[in-house]
Amino acid sequence: MRPYFEKMTAFGHELKKGRLKSSQENLQKLKDAESKIQIEVERVKMVGLPEEKINARGQMTVWQRLEYLLDPGTWCPLHTLYNPADNEQGTTNVIDGLGKIAGKWAVVIGFDNKVLAGAWLPGQSENILRGTDLAKRLHIPLVWLVNCSGANLPEQEKFYANRRGAGTPLFRHAELEQLGIPVLAGIYGTNPAGGGYHGISATILFAHKDCNIAVGGAGIVSGMAPKGEFNLDTAEEIIDKAGKFKATPPGTAKTHYDETGFFRYVFETESDVLDGLKDYMKDLPSFHPKFYRVAQSREPRFPSQDLYHLLPMEPKKVYDFDEVLARLVDSSEHMEFRPDYGPEIYTGLCKIDGFLTACIGNRQGYLGKDYPEYADYAGMGGKVYRQGLIKMNEFVTLCGRDRIPIIWLQDTTGVDVGDDAEKAELLGLAMSLIYSIQQTDNPMMLLMLRKGTASSHYFMGGPTANRHNAFTIGTAASEIYVMHGETAAVATYSRRLVKEKEAGRPLEPIIERMNRLAREYHENSRPLFCAQKGLIDEIVPLSDLRKYLVAFAGAAYQNPKSICPHHQMILPRIIKG
Amino acid sequence: MAQEMVATLPGKVSQVKIKVGAKVEEDQEALTIEAMKMETPIFIPCNGTVKKLFVKEGDEVDEGDILAIIAGI
Repeated sequence: MRPYFEKMTAFGHELKKGRLKSSQENLQKLKDAESKIQIEVERVKMVGLPEEKINARGQMTVWQRLEYLLDPGTWCPLHTLYNPADNEQGTTNVIDGLGKIAGKWAVVIGFDNKVLAGAWLPGQSENILRGTDLAKRLHIPLVWLVNCSGANLPEQEKFYANRRGAGTPLFRHAELEQLGIPVLAGIYGTNPAGGGYHGISATILFAHKDCNIAVGGAGIVSGMAPKGEFNLDTAEEIIDKAGKFKATPPGTAKTHYDETGFFRYVFETESDVLDGLKDYMKDLPSFHPKFYRVAQSREPRFPSQDLYHLLPMEPKKVYDFDEVLARLVDSSEHMEFRPDYGPEIYTGLCKIDGFLTACIGNRQGYLGKDYPEYADYAGMGGKVYRQGLIKMNEFVTLCGRDRIPIIWLQDTTGVDVGDDAEKAELLGLAMSLIYSIQQTDNPMMLLMLRKGTASSHYFMGGPTANRHNAFTIGTAASEIYVMHGETAAVATYSRRLVKEKEAGRPLEPIIERMNRLAREYHENSRPLFCAQKGLIDEIVPLSDLRKYLVAFAGAAYQNPKSICPHHQMILPRIIKG
Repeated sequence: MAQEMVATLPGKVSQVKIKVGAKVEEDQEALTIEAMKMETPIFIPCNGTVKKLFVKEGDEVDEGDILAIIAGI
């Protein structure tokens, strides 16, 4: 299939000086927004005890462990700002992402040992489940850096129980193992109760000599039967018992190496543990990239810096989607699927790091007075119409058949509405697309270029497609809401305005509510809000977007569950005709 | 040689960023047409000087209307 993929059709244009100069303000707005997000990222990194204090104890911080473990330049952090329960620490207390270890992609999760000795916090289990889901979706190893003091007891009611509570990741680890996906754990520090189970739930345990894992910690072991209240006598008793157990906490490395044999290895130094993990990763099953690559990996022909000139920060401003895509894919080449049909949607085959990848995105701008064909009004890109829906259904189905991972690039204002749109079956076709996605087993990722709105945020591979959506990244221009705030205010209060007017009452109180609702919509759709609530998994600078695409493609092709030989693919033949 | 700058869609001119006599560069953003809740930028077709400008903010234009003439260099 070399003639199909080695040299595909080039697209995109070099930006002229006039464009570069007149879009300087947009560039500055995007850079400023990215800087503000970076300040929040740095704050999460600095939370808890200072690095020097951890190092003085002879320990590395989770960030130092990650830096030592991962191949340089491969780390793609996810969920850095995720904090759905609004913890005062500003974090769920685990750090996770995609990275290469010894040349192989893995999902890596580590407890932040600077914060409450890596305790379970509210929202953490949901964060971890995103990591285990990612490993499952991409069929790649999960590597843990366990250093967990267990539940933060004063807040246990917020995370201990429930369907997706702190125990659920343990079931997910078992599920991954039953699917043939290894879970490796480097274990450090004191890991009682929840921390102990996190350690033992992995496939192979790499222990530091000073670590322990235990069903219960010294605090629990020394506990007494409840007596109804505490007083000076019971306090003295607690002090006495706790002192004894502090000296010999249960579940030491010696116990679990010499007695139980749970620990496969015990290492002298912290970095030795990480070297052990690296050594194991080398031998885990994976295809050499040459098995799946359709061409040599090449950078796009245009600089990623152009993206700051092309993607408008202003949500209503039209831009050229193809020019954006040309800054993300190998050699700025593609094979477009049905270019003469459904003009509001781009569907095409591209290469990312030499791997064949399908891209689907919203083209922006005026679509001409004759489109959509079923209505007497003109169409505008960002909205989705009948042809676009049919084209996406076809493309996704064929990608499923050919086992091609899909990258969705969303910037959508929703689906066309009105009686013409209903007669054109848009409701049914949109649901058909969800059905089409669900009947594939392809890894997918979403890049939220700008707007995610209405049902198109769902059916265009959004996080709600969570069996398929490996992860979703956003930009400093991303915003997600069911509809624009002002539209929502009209929908909510229009009838009330009529009633107040008819009753002769003042309209100002309703107007104030409408303005408040619109403001709330704006505030609750910003990139930081989206990241904190998990609507996107990471806000990524435009200059780093391709790095995440490379990670996704490489991970998706590392050890896929199912193969379609290149010469048996049908989609490239359909495109060629 | 002069080149016409043409409206690519019908709508209302919401912003004009050029003036007659101003030196302009190819692909520079010249004005904005607002339609269907979206703002579409119109770009200068060639390096040169704005010879004529036929629209002002608030004007309604149709697809294909000539918005300005650029005297190329």
